[in-house]
Amino acid sequence: MEYTKEKKVGEGTYAVVYLGTKQSTGRSIAVKEIKSSAFKDGLDMSAIREVKYLQEIQHENVIELVDIFLASENLNLVLEFLPSDLEVIIKDKSILFTPADIKSWMLMTLRGVHHCHRNFILHRDLKPNNLLIAPDGQIKVADFGLARTVPSPHEILTSNVVTRWYRAPELLFGAKHYTSAIDVWSVGVIFAELMLRIPYLPGKSDIDQVEVTFRALGTPTDRDWPDVSSFPAYNKLQMYTPPSREELRRRFIAASENALDYLCGMLTMNPQKRWNTVQCLESEYFKEAPSPTEPSKIKIS
Amino acid sequence: MSSKSDTLLFLSRPFLTKKQILKAQSNNIQDHRAYNQKKLAIIKFLSDICVQLRFPRKTLEAALYFYQRFYLFNKFETELCYTIATSAILLSCKQVETIKKSNEICSISLRLRSVAKVTPEILDNFKKRVCQHELRLLEAISFDYRINNYVHIDEYVIKLGKELAFSQETCYLAWIIAYDVLKTEIILVVPQHTISLAVLKIAHELPNAKSTWPTIRYTTFESDEKSFSEAYFDLLNFYINSFDLCDLKDNMPSGLQSISIDTFIELKKRAGREYGLKNPTDKEVDTDLYLSTQYDTSNVRERRYVLSAKSINSEVASMNQKP
Ligand SMILES: Nc1ncnc2c1ncn2[C@@H]1O[C@H](COP(=O)(O)OP(=O)(O)O)[C@@H](O)[C@H]1O
Ligand SMILES: [Mg+2]
Repeated sequence: MEYTKEKKVGEGTYAVVYLGTKQSTGRSIAVKEIKSSAFKDGLDMSAIREVKYLQEIQHENVIELVDIFLASENLNLVLEFLPSDLEVIIKDKSILFTPADIKSWMLMTLRGVHHCHRNFILHRDLKPNNLLIAPDGQIKVADFGLARTVPSPHEILTSNVVTRWYRAPELLFGAKHYTSAIDVWSVGVIFAELMLRIPYLPGKSDIDQVEVTFRALGTPTDRDWPDVSSFPAYNKLQMYTPPSREELRRRFIAASENALDYLCGMLTMNPQKRWNTVQCLESEYFKEAPSPTEPSKIKIS
Repeated sequence: MSSKSDTLLFLSRPFLTKKQILKAQSNNIQDHRAYNQKKLAIIKFLSDICVQLRFPRKTLEAALYFYQRFYLFNKFETELCYTIATSAILLSCKQVETIKKSNEICSISLRLRSVAKVTPEILDNFKKRVCQHELRLLEAISFDYRINNYVHIDEYVIKLGKELAFSQETCYLAWIIAYDVLKTEIILVVPQHTISLAVLKIAHELPNAKSTWPTIRYTTFESDEKSFSEAYFDLLNFYINSFDLCDLKDNMPSGLQSISIDTFIELKKRAGREYGLKNPTDKEVDTDLYLSTQYDTSNVRERRYVLSAKSINSEVASMNQKP
């Protein structure tokens, strides 16, 4: 056998993940075994998506699909082994990280996400838990179980994507059409979480998420997001005014003015005005000091 | 093909030449006429499912690719082919993101084959069998999702037609011809965008055999002359040899009713010497293990599917380095 499974390292909705070794090279790999209970409607769509999109994308900041194999009628995806993820790091209060480290993680994440978008792929489930970290410190965008190709304008989509706390306002409104801007929103929320070290918009339910999001960032109006009031859920909303610059400064104490601009660019309510990955990557935030930490120099253990 | 006794390694080969296809089929299809007849019935059957569930053409196209790939590596038995076809459409829905519940697909499939009363039990059993074959279908394409992902013949007929500044009528005619393409095996031979170009050429020439096809550098369309020619002649031959089977004759756009088998014969005459992809020699085909693999691999513990030869080569290299 070319691949061994040595230890269970994680479990998702449709798969169990093992640490293993590729025998011919001795390389550590992760084997994601698709649960057979996931075959109720035939092969799980998440598994199909994961294979389909990872086959297409090769990038330093996107997890590598090394191989696919069948063993005793189980489908297994072989992925590069990534020992940690951003969620673990954010939660582990014994780990101290600097604004330069955050900038480095942001840069790597955006590069990965930008590469997806450039290849017309939406990730649709960005969150710290799906940003895995390689032994050399590189961030790898992972878990493409919800990904899909950038839809054409007339395609009807499900708005039931993205883990709640990282869900863009258009999704909260149940939009049937959305764009790659939903991923940028998630990156913005992750950036806030890295600075605060607690989840930024932790809604307790889908309804609460709407409340929490607009309380923190202001309820959008037709003025900056034309026709937002025509979403069915809109008239039930509590109207909050957006936070002033001063309030944002107080909330994100360590953030520079450029960092705040960058944050606000990603957390713009109107998806059409929200920054895209190119605008993010070219923002002043990445140009000013401190420069992003060299990935292999970020101390995470 | 196998690197170790308990591992089988498959390198994806999404396209095969006609000769390679015949070789693979010869292991699995005893009666070619029966197979071809059933295929036409299956196209009708899957088309009906697509109409009922309002699937676009691409769902049908992907399903037929999967169906035909399956019978390159698995024994063809008439009893099972509707189940395989249903699996193929279930899988293609996921592939091209036109998702429907397997229940819905399966119950329509049963109804179309006039199963009198579809009880929950019958449905459940059928669904199980359909789902079981999904993995077999994926094996037949070596889990290579790069095909049938972004490029679909009908969509590219329109896209490339616009790019080449053809009229709407030409594109529409091409779109009709693109349905007949599915009755040939050309989707197993050359990539879809190349087929779209060949279809456009025919649509361009049919109303007026004298119209000239623009000089195209095929490489700018990520294609090549041989593949293009292979598809072009394959289609002409289909219309010449099986005009009765085509849908074009019953759906001729107005003003083009005069198109007949003779029109195609004329086109072929004008096209000059028939040429296409180079077929391998008999010996090469006979010794090509890929073409004689039966997927009865129950005694193999691990079956690996790889997309690029590069990764295999690097693996071999690192094995050779070891003491
Ligand atoms: N390549 C990998 N290396 C190490 N651990 C992994 C890897 N992929 C996944 N895991 C672990 O398994 C868990 C579930 O995997 P994930 O791909 O996120 O599946 P799901 O779609 O079910 O969330 C992850 O949270 C992580 O802990
Ligand atoms: Mg996950």
